[in-house]
Amino acid sequence: MNTYFERVHAGLPLNDVEIIDVHAHLGPYFNMHVPARDPGRMIRIMDLCGIAKAVLSPNMSWESDLVFANDLMRDAVASHPGRIYGACAVNGNYPELSGDELERCFEDAAVLMIKIHPAVSKCRLDDKRMNGIYEFASRRKLCILAHTWLDNDPFGNMDLFSGVAEDHPDIPWIMGHSGGPYGSRRAVELALQVPNIYLDLTLSMCPARQVEFFVKEVGAERVLFGTDNPFLDPRPQVGRVALADISPRDKVNIFGANARRLIRFESKRGHLSGS
Amino acid sequence: MDKPAFFDANCSVGRVGYPHLFDIADAAGLKQEMATAGVEEALAYHTIARDADPRLGNFRLMEEIKGHPELHPVWVVLPHHTAEMPPPAKLLPEMKACGVRAVRMFPTKTHHSFSPADWCAGELLSALEAGRVPLILDAEILPWEDVHGLLKTYSHLPIIMANCNYRQNRFLYPLFEKFPNLYVETSWFMGGGAVEDVIERFGSRPLLFGTNMPRYTGTAAVALITYADIGRKDKEAIAGGNLRGIFEGMWP
Repeated sequence: MNTYFERVHAGLPLNDVEIIDVHAHLGPYFNMHVPARDPGRMIRIMDLCGIAKAVLSPNMSWESDLVFANDLMRDAVASHPGRIYGACAVNGNYPELSGDELERCFEDAAVLMIKIHPAVSKCRLDDKRMNGIYEFASRRKLCILAHTWLDNDPFGNMDLFSGVAEDHPDIPWIMGHSGGPYGSRRAVELALQVPNIYLDLTLSMCPARQVEFFVKEVGAERVLFGTDNPFLDPRPQVGRVALADISPRDKVNIFGANARRLIRFESKRGHLSGS
Repeated sequence: MDKPAFFDANCSVGRVGYPHLFDIADAAGLKQEMATAGVEEALAYHTIARDADPRLGNFRLMEEIKGHPELHPVWVVLPHHTAEMPPPAKLLPEMKACGVRAVRMFPTKTHHSFSPADWCAGELLSALEAGRVPLILDAEILPWEDVHGLLKTYSHLPIIMANCNYRQNRFLYPLFEKFPNLYVETSWFMGGGAVEDVIERFGSRPLLFGTNMPRYTGTAAVALITYADIGRKDKEAIAGGNLRGIFEGMWP
C-alpha cells in the first residue's frame, strides 16, 4: 500500500478509509460562478479523491427560498442514494415554516442533519424563534451544523454558538468553519469548555498546521471532515487531512469515523447506507 | 514516485504581525512546510518588503534565502519618484544580477499608496515589460478595472494574479478571453470544479500553482491539482511548467 503522500501526489483516491463530508452544498449561488454545482459532477469529483458520502444543503438556502432549496436537496438525495445525504435548511426568521420543513424533510430517511446560517439569515443563534428548531433536533438527537466566523458576526459568532451548545447539551453542535482562519484558538477554547461542540475543517484558505493544532488540543475525535463542495472544491480538504502530521488513526477518525458516530447513516426505510 | 514537480508561485519569508497559529518566519520553516506538502521549488518575497519597506525587505530576502537554491527571489517594487526605489534603469540590472524571477506590487491606497496608472508607474511597468519580468499582483486588493488597464497597456508583461479567490470567475473569464498575458495563481482558486472549467475553456496556460505558504498550508493546494480531472500534461503545466515557461521568456 502506498502512503497517503504518494497517493495524493499520484492523484489516487483514498478508498481504504471512509471519507464523509459533513459540510457540503449544492446548486447555484448568486455571488459567484459555481462550475460543478450539480450532484452528478459533485459525485465525479468526490470519486476522484475518495469521498464516500456527503451531507449537503443547497447554496441558496439562506439568501433565497429555503423550501425551494430543500426541494433541491431532496431531489439530490433521492437520485444518489448512499452517496448524498441531506441537511435540512432552516431559518429562524420563519419559525413555523422551518418547523414544517423539518417535519417534511425528515420524512426522508436520508435527511440526517440540520443546517443553519445565522450570519446570512440575520437571526441570532439565541433568538427565541430558533427554539422550535433546537427542540426538534433535541428530540431526535440530530446534529446541527451552524456557520461560524470569529469577527463581527452579531448573529452567529463563536461565543453565541457555544452558548446555545451549552444550553442544548443533547445536540451535537458542529462549529462550521471553526470560526474561520482567525478563529482556531477560540474554537479550541470553546470546544474544551463545551463537550458537545465539534470542530469543522471546512475552509478555503487553511492556516498552516491547523489540523495538527486541533488534534493536539482537543483530540481527533472532536474534529470533522467538511468541504463546502461545490461552493469550494472538496479535493484540497482531502489533501489537507491526508498530508497532516497526525497519526493514521486520527486521520480515520477525522475522515469519517467521527461522523459515523454522530450521524445515523443507517437505513430507516431501506435506504442504502452505501457502506 | 510519479508526482508532478511543484513550483510554487506564491510564498513568503518573514514574520507577520498577525500569524494564524504558528510563527513560521524563516527559510528553513518555509522549506519544512514545502516538504510536508511535496513542493520542490518556490518563488518567495519577504514580508518586510510588503509590510514595512520594499527595499529593506528585498535585501533581507536575499540574505534569508542564501544557501537555499529551492527558493527563488521575488522583489517588491515601487515607482522611483520618491527615491525609495532606484529608477528602472538601475533597478532592473540589479534584479537581473540577483536572479530575481518576478516582482510584486501593492499599488492601492490601503497598501503601498501609489497608482498603477501610466502617469505614476508607467516607467517601471514599461521596463518590466521590456524585460518580460513577471508582475505578481494581489487579487484581494487590486480592482479588476485596474488589472484590465494593465493587461491592455502592457500586453507583453506577464501578469500573475495571486490570492485570487473562488468568487472571481465572472471577472476572470472575459479577461482570459482577451489577454494571453494573464495568469492566475491557484492557492485560493478553489471553486468546485474550477480548474477543470478553466482548462475546458482556455486550456491550462493561465493557471500557475501556488500555496501562500507558510501562513497557509500547501497540502490543500497540492491536492487541488493532483486530483484534478485533467491530463498529465496539464497537471505538469500547472504544477510548474507554465511558470518555468514564463521564466524562459525573461530578459530577451
